[in-house]
Amino acid sequence: MVLCIIAFFVFAVMSIFSAKYRPLAKEGFRCVFRTIMLKPCDTGMDERIKAEVVSKVLKISPTLARFTNKHFTMIAWAFVIISLGSMVYSGFGLYNFYFYGNCDGPEAVGACIINDLTGDYGRFSEPTDLIAPTNFDGIVAGNPEANITIVEFGCFTCPYTKKAESTMSELLEKYNDSIYYVFKPFPLPNHQNSYEAAVAVLCAERQGEHGKHFELQEEIFEQQEVCTSDGSLAIKQLAQDAGLDMNAFNQCYDNNETADQLDEYIQQGKDSHIYATPTFFINGKTIVGPRPIEEFEKIISEES
Amino acid sequence: MKDIRADFPMLKKYPKIIYFDNACTALKPQSVIDAVVGYYTEFGACGGRSSHQLARKTNNKLDESREKVAKFVNADPEGLVWTRNATESLNLVASSFDFSQKRKVVTTVMEHHSVLLPFMKLRDQGKIDLEILPCDEYGEVSMEKWSSAVDNECALIVTNSWNNTTGGENNISELSKLVHDNGGLICVDGAQGVPHHKTDLKGENIDFLCFSGHKMLGPTGIGALAMRKEDIPKLKPFIVGGGTVMKTSTEQAESATDQTRFEAGIQHYAGIIGFAAACDYLSDYGMENVEKLERTFANAIVSSIVNAGATVYGKHNRAGAVCSFNFKGGKPHDVALMLDKENIALRSGFFCAQPGLEAIGAASGAVRASAYIYNTLDEVKKFSEALEKVSILYG
Ligand SMILES: Cc1ncc(COP(=O)(O)O)c(C=O)c1O
Repeated sequence: MVLCIIAFFVFAVMSIFSAKYRPLAKEGFRCVFRTIMLKPCDTGMDERIKAEVVSKVLKISPTLARFTNKHFTMIAWAFVIISLGSMVYSGFGLYNFYFYGNCDGPEAVGACIINDLTGDYGRFSEPTDLIAPTNFDGIVAGNPEANITIVEFGCFTCPYTKKAESTMSELLEKYNDSIYYVFKPFPLPNHQNSYEAAVAVLCAERQGEHGKHFELQEEIFEQQEVCTSDGSLAIKQLAQDAGLDMNAFNQCYDNNETADQLDEYIQQGKDSHIYATPTFFINGKTIVGPRPIEEFEKIISEES
Repeated sequence: MKDIRADFPMLKKYPKIIYFDNACTALKPQSVIDAVVGYYTEFGACGGRSSHQLARKTNNKLDESREKVAKFVNADPEGLVWTRNATESLNLVASSFDFSQKRKVVTTVMEHHSVLLPFMKLRDQGKIDLEILPCDEYGEVSMEKWSSAVDNECALIVTNSWNNTTGGENNISELSKLVHDNGGLICVDGAQGVPHHKTDLKGENIDFLCFSGHKMLGPTGIGALAMRKEDIPKLKPFIVGGGTVMKTSTEQAESATDQTRFEAGIQHYAGIIGFAAACDYLSDYGMENVEKLERTFANAIVSSIVNAGATVYGKHNRAGAVCSFNFKGGKPHDVALMLDKENIALRSGFFCAQPGLEAIGAASGAVRASAYIYNTLDEVKKFSEALEKVSILYG
């Protein structure tokens, strides 16, 4: 019974490519079906597979063959579990490939990969494709006169951008005078409510009161999951909590008044061939993903 | 002895396979295949019905075939009825025999399902009393057991001449004497016996002899029931229709009095002609040679099995090269499949004789190796090596 489950799947897939395997897949299916109906598998397929396996092993080692023969059901179950496991894993890979553009999911690159299946985002995929921006507009901090400029393209609903945030804060604290930090919102189309979050932060920045937009930005990162799922409702609540002028904020947010500004940043990101967030350019040198602070410090020390 | 392996196209086509499933069915020599095809290319017409020249030619060939098959078991051609196989012959006897005077039938637990089931059916319908004799550890039923069961109430005894599990042989002459002395008749399941040793219907005083063509080099789908021609009217027609009557109106049908009363519809002409060719082949080879070879193979195969540490069912010294065995801890199907991987073709399971296998201690079935005239001692040697190899898995 056990092996027919695998046999069915394997032969079912193989029979897509070759008609030769179709009767075997059918047999496997019959066996699986009978098993599900709690009837014994009567195709003899299990026994044939067993004989096949044991006779192969017998050619290699009699002792091993004897063991295999004796504990075949157990081995077969182990095999089924491993196979089912790897099938689930492959399915997961396919899912990741569809949603993240790679089989291993967001964790693999350690950055939010842009997967814009219909649009023109994320057509690049290599660090060597990146082109440093020449424009230093954005949400800025640090010393505008400093020798070192860190430009970050980030998405407020990207967990990796969130992760990098604390690193940036630490750097700003440590090298306050010697670095200039430019954050360019780059909302990923495959992240829900990323655009809204960016608009909110830009609207907060407009209110000019120093620090309020940083506070909102921090809160959005903090409440990232809620913002992602609830969108405007959650974002506005955070704006209120940050003590912003809500009339002005709503006016700006609801009318998407920062659209041109945001579109400009997005265009710059595309021009820089951004394929994942966060992406950093430190005096033109690139880092993709929330890398350890040492990597940033290494470049900073080289540049200073 | 001439090399007969060249006569068998299957052996040429599969030179590596050792065919040891002869108790199930035998391979066919070219002469039989030619005879079967020959019907369609040379004769092609109806027998016993039309009178044109092709029909006459066909008819002559069919008569000649009936003579040959009858002669092969020393029966009268007029007493030979075509059936599909031994099973149908046995069913014909069971359903046509007159049990109105005496209703006791004696058989043994070692019979094939084709013997047991038709008579169990009659028993369950309340038409007969059935006594199934038990066997000893070797699957044999002693003459004492038979003697105490067969009395003058006994209408019929039914048993095999050779056993399909143990290769054991029944003394049919003795049994027929016993039953005749008590006023009963004997029906012999010759499915295994007829192919493997000389069967003499008249000499052994057999009343009904059932056998199949396919186990004796003949085509599948053709068998026979041989009996004395005087007994023919005693059996009621079984399947009726075209060819089984002398005269028919819508009120009444008058059965034919000869064996054609049992041969309803157009017969398997190609099979009949092929069956006769198989009898020719075996006669040319000599049944005494077949018997000798059987013994040689039986000894060699039994020794191989014993040497490999498996259990052989039945007496080691046996007439037929039919050897059932089991490895301790090895499922029969698994063992057979392992041997199949070694290119040994044999059978596993119950061989349609489940009560018998249970009686000899093989309740989960067994593996069966059975040889025939085209097998060789070299093949038995390879079988022995394969068994040794497979035996590593068990014990
Ligand atoms: C002893 C015995 N009787 C009867 C039969 C039935 O023969 P068939 O299937 O040709 O009718 C067999 C076949 O295996 C047999 O071995």
